[in-house]
Order: sequence, then structure tokens, then C-alpha cells
Amino acid sequence: MQLPLRRKVERDFWENRLLMLFLILKRALVAFLTVLVVIVLSGVLIHVVPGDPVTAMMAQSVTATPEAMAEMRARLGLDLPVWQQVGLYAWHVLQGDLGTSIRSSESVAQLLLQRLPNTFSLAVSGLVIALAIGIPLGFLAAVNRGRLADTAVMVIAVLGVSIPAFWLGLILMQVFSLKLGWLPVAGSGWRNIILPAFTLGLTYCALVARMTRSALIEVLAEDYIRTARARGLRERQVLLVHALRPALISIVTVVGLVFAYLLGGQVIIENVFSWNGIGRLAVQAMLERDYPMIQGFIVVFATSVVIVSMLIDILYGFLDPRMRQK
Amino acid sequence: MTSTTVTAATLRSLPFTVILGTGLALLIIAAALLAPYLAPFDPMRMAAGPRLAAPSAAHLFGTDEFGRDLLSRVLMGGRLSLGIGVAAVVSGLAIGGLLGLLAAFSGRLVQAVLLRVIDVLYSFPDTLIALALVAFLGPGIENATLAIAISLVPFYARVTYGLAAAERAKPYIEAAQLAGVRPGRLVRVHVMPNIGQSLIVMGTLGFSSAILSAAGLSFLGLGVQPPSPEWGAILASGRNYITKAPWILLFPGVAICLTVLSFNLIGDSLRDLVDPRRKGRP
Repeated sequence: MQLPLRRKVERDFWENRLLMLFLILKRALVAFLTVLVVIVLSGVLIHVVPGDPVTAMMAQSVTATPEAMAEMRARLGLDLPVWQQVGLYAWHVLQGDLGTSIRSSESVAQLLLQRLPNTFSLAVSGLVIALAIGIPLGFLAAVNRGRLADTAVMVIAVLGVSIPAFWLGLILMQVFSLKLGWLPVAGSGWRNIILPAFTLGLTYCALVARMTRSALIEVLAEDYIRTARARGLRERQVLLVHALRPALISIVTVVGLVFAYLLGGQVIIENVFSWNGIGRLAVQAMLERDYPMIQGFIVVFATSVVIVSMLIDILYGFLDPRMRQK
Repeated sequence: MTSTTVTAATLRSLPFTVILGTGLALLIIAAALLAPYLAPFDPMRMAAGPRLAAPSAAHLFGTDEFGRDLLSRVLMGGRLSLGIGVAAVVSGLAIGGLLGLLAAFSGRLVQAVLLRVIDVLYSFPDTLIALALVAFLGPGIENATLAIAISLVPFYARVTYGLAAAERAKPYIEAAQLAGVRPGRLVRVHVMPNIGQSLIVMGTLGFSSAILSAAGLSFLGLGVQPPSPEWGAILASGRNYITKAPWILLFPGVAICLTVLSFNLIGDSLRDLVDPRRKGRP
């Protein structure tokens, strides 16, 4: 017995909403569990410090009296058994308390949050540049598969993943700041973002180009592309309307991955260009052995990566109905 | 006679990039191994020439801020960088491989937990995992190597799991299990010989990433410490002389690029041949 058409449409409508809600809840749960794993891991990490972490931290301090050291040990919960200390740390982090920086005696959460906008503006600029260069290059390669343009793009792509980002940054700095004097060497103004953003964009556009190329090649092999051509559509229309759109949807999924790698590379790039983001703060903390600060950095960084990849999965669910069924 | 024809034919059927990559890699490895004989000066000897001298016949790559010969330092630095890379890849592959096999051949609960944790770690860039570990282990060549090795574990564990799970589904494994072969022996005698080759290819992919991580860590002052001539460490000190002596930045950087490039060329082309899940993907 068939449902009346209206009821069927209505049922599909609600089924779709329900599936989407289910996808969002599932992804949110996975994201939360992932962050929890990272929090526990970063709580455990302080125990891999060779010797005594308090001694290591206080080594550069003049106020390293036994009382001060005992006080710090108690504050970090290091006098407790490992599982209790990690549990306590996780409990505090979940309440938004990342502890206090050893060096500056300020709240770790606050120090990191202050710099987060700088880090995000650089990361997003880098990502936009990577996509703006990478997608057209990948498109060009896929359309001209096996020909000179394809080979050229693939050569650029393999070179791109082989050049260390920080070295590229130094070269760009040498040429555009020091030789030509067009752009400032370091700092955090709007003109200062150009060089680090291009360093990141140029480094990661290779990854984007390769992924675009393979996504598009896959789409171009589909039957409906052949049908579109057989119907006599112009090649331009076939490529831009029938092929590029579905390919872009699958590129969305890799944007999260590219973003994570870009953020990772950014830690070094912020240091090259003295960009005032959390990466620079973190490396400073690493050199000074400011463990609460390092733990806080790991938690904040990991949470950013997890949230971005969650949002992208959900976006993918909106764009591609097949994803909701999984 | 037959054997030479076969080798020649096999060589011709290999992609050009593999041959280029292998040639380049062999050249770099040879340079690193022969560095003590090739280096014109002691890489640590100060005032081997004038300070910050531009490349010349006496000092092909120029000299650094202490008058040390840069060519000798880059050559000897290759030993450090490649050494860290090899040590990190071998130990990372050993640990990751074991975890991957464990996940593939253990009960559902262990498998689910292991895969979940591996996936969580895999979603973070490996350079960052290495950075976080070094932050706690402390700087230095051993700690950096250990940190890079661990940072590669999620990648190798996933790859090994993928290969082993595909192998496990084949009838001969079931036959062996029914014949009463215990899991340990099953993996050693039946699974490993079949996936070993693929694992080695994957090893080369981790190698370029290890070299990049090592250079990055040393550049930040968290890896190999000066005055050791590791490539990243040379770049870190050369950074202060970026206008006066750009060659200090040029040569170690090119060395890193060529090394990473050669292993990427080898790994990328071979990966498609061995990884069933990645056919036609980037």
C-alpha cells in the first residue's frame, strides 16, 4: 500500500531533520570525548618530565626555597597519586580553569584567550590563501590530466610539501621585508599578517591542490558527466556546474584536515614572524618550562582543532545527504 | 643474462619520479655517510676562515658567525638529521606496527578503544605531538628523537591496522586459525611477510615528516642544541644574520628540502602501489 504523496513528503522531511539532529549530537559527543582524552593526556604528560617537574620549573628561579617548592607541588597536585592528580586537573579544566602560569603568575586561560584572536586571524588568512591558490591549481591539473599543466601542478605540489614552512617564511622575509622593504619584518599589525599568511598559504596550497585534483578526477569519471557531455553541453558548463560543485563538497571534508595541519605549522611560523599568537606563547613557555602554560596550550589547541573538524563534519552533513545516513 | 634483463625491465616500469627520488636519496645518504671524508674542515672548528664570509673557492658554502666552514657543517648536519629520521622512523614503525597488529587481531573491546585513541591522536599534526612531548621531556637530541618517534606512532598504527585488517579478511588466515595456529605465530609467519613490504614503503613517507619535525624542533631551540650542526639548528642561528649572510639560511634549507623531496618522491609513487584503500587518491 502506498502512502499518499503529501504524507510521504512530510515523513521524509521529518526523517531528514531527525537524521541531521542525530548527526550533530553524535559528532558533538565524539568531539567532547576527544577533548576529554586530550585533557587526560596533557594531565599525564607532566609525569613524563625526567626527574622532578617542580625542580625543573624552579631551576631558573631565584625564589626556589623548599617552602616555595612544596607550595607549588601542592598547587599542581603533584603530592597526590597520579590518577587523583590527573582527575583533579581534568575537573578543573572542564570548569574552565587551566591553572596559573609559573612565570607570569597570571591565569593560563586568560593569557591564551587574549592571543586566540591573533592566532585565528592568521590561520584563517592562511587557509583562505591556501584554498584560493590550491583549488584552481587542482582544477587545472585534473582537467588537463596527464598533460603538461597536470605535471607542472604535481611538481609544485610535491615541492610544496617538501619545503619547511619556517624556511619559506625566512626566505619571504629576506626578499619582501629586508631586500625590497615592502612589508614589515615582525609585529602584529594588519600589514604584518601578509607575510606569515602567505607563508602558510603557499605551504598548504600544495595539499589542497592535490586533494582537489583527485576529487575532481573521481567526479569526472562519473556517468552523469558523460551524460552531460552527450547532451551537448559546453565543456565549460560541464566542468563548472556538473563537476566542480560535487568535487567542492568532498573538498570541504579535507578543509578540516588542512586547517589542523596549518595550525600545527603556524606554531613555528608565529615564532619566525614574532606574531603574537598562542603558538609564540607556547614555545616561550616550552623554553621556560612553564608546564601549566604548556598543558593549557595543548588543551586549547586541541579543542580548536576538534571543534573545527566537528563543524566541518556537520556542514558536510548539510551538503551531502548521504552523510546523514551513516 | 636473464636477471639483468628483468632488472632493466623492472627499472623501466618504475615511475620516473621513483628513480629520481631514489637517486637523490642515495646521493644524500652517501654524502652523510662519507661526511667526515668529504668535509674540508672540522665542522666545530671556529675561525676556519673569516667570519660571515660569502661562498668562495676556499669555503664553497661560505662561513658562519664564528668563522666555521658551512659546507662541513651542512655535510655533518646531514648525519644528525638523517640519523634522527632513521631512529625515529624505526622506533615509530615498531611501536605503531605493534599497536596496529594488536588492534587488528584482538577482541572487539580492545580494538575499539585502541582505534579510537589512535584516531584521536591522528587528528593532530605530528609536528605538534612532537612539540608537546619535547616540551615535557626537555630539549636535546635523544628527547627530540623519542618525541618524533612517538609522533609517528598514530600514522604507522593506522596504516598497519588497515593493511592487517585487509589481510585478516582473506580465507587463508581463517584456514590457519582453524588449523589451530596461535595469534602470535599467525601474525609472525602469515601476516607479516604479506604486509611487510607495504609497511616499509609507508616508512619512507614517515621519514620525510620526521626530518621536517626534527628541523622544526631544532629551529625553535627545542631539538638538537648548538653548536651541533643539525640543519634546523644552523638555520636558527643563521636567522640573526639574515641580511649580512643569507647563505647561512640558504644551504641548510636546501639540504632539508632536497632530503624531504627525495623521500616524498619515492613514497608518493610507491604508496599507490601498496595501499589498497588509497587507489587513485592523493
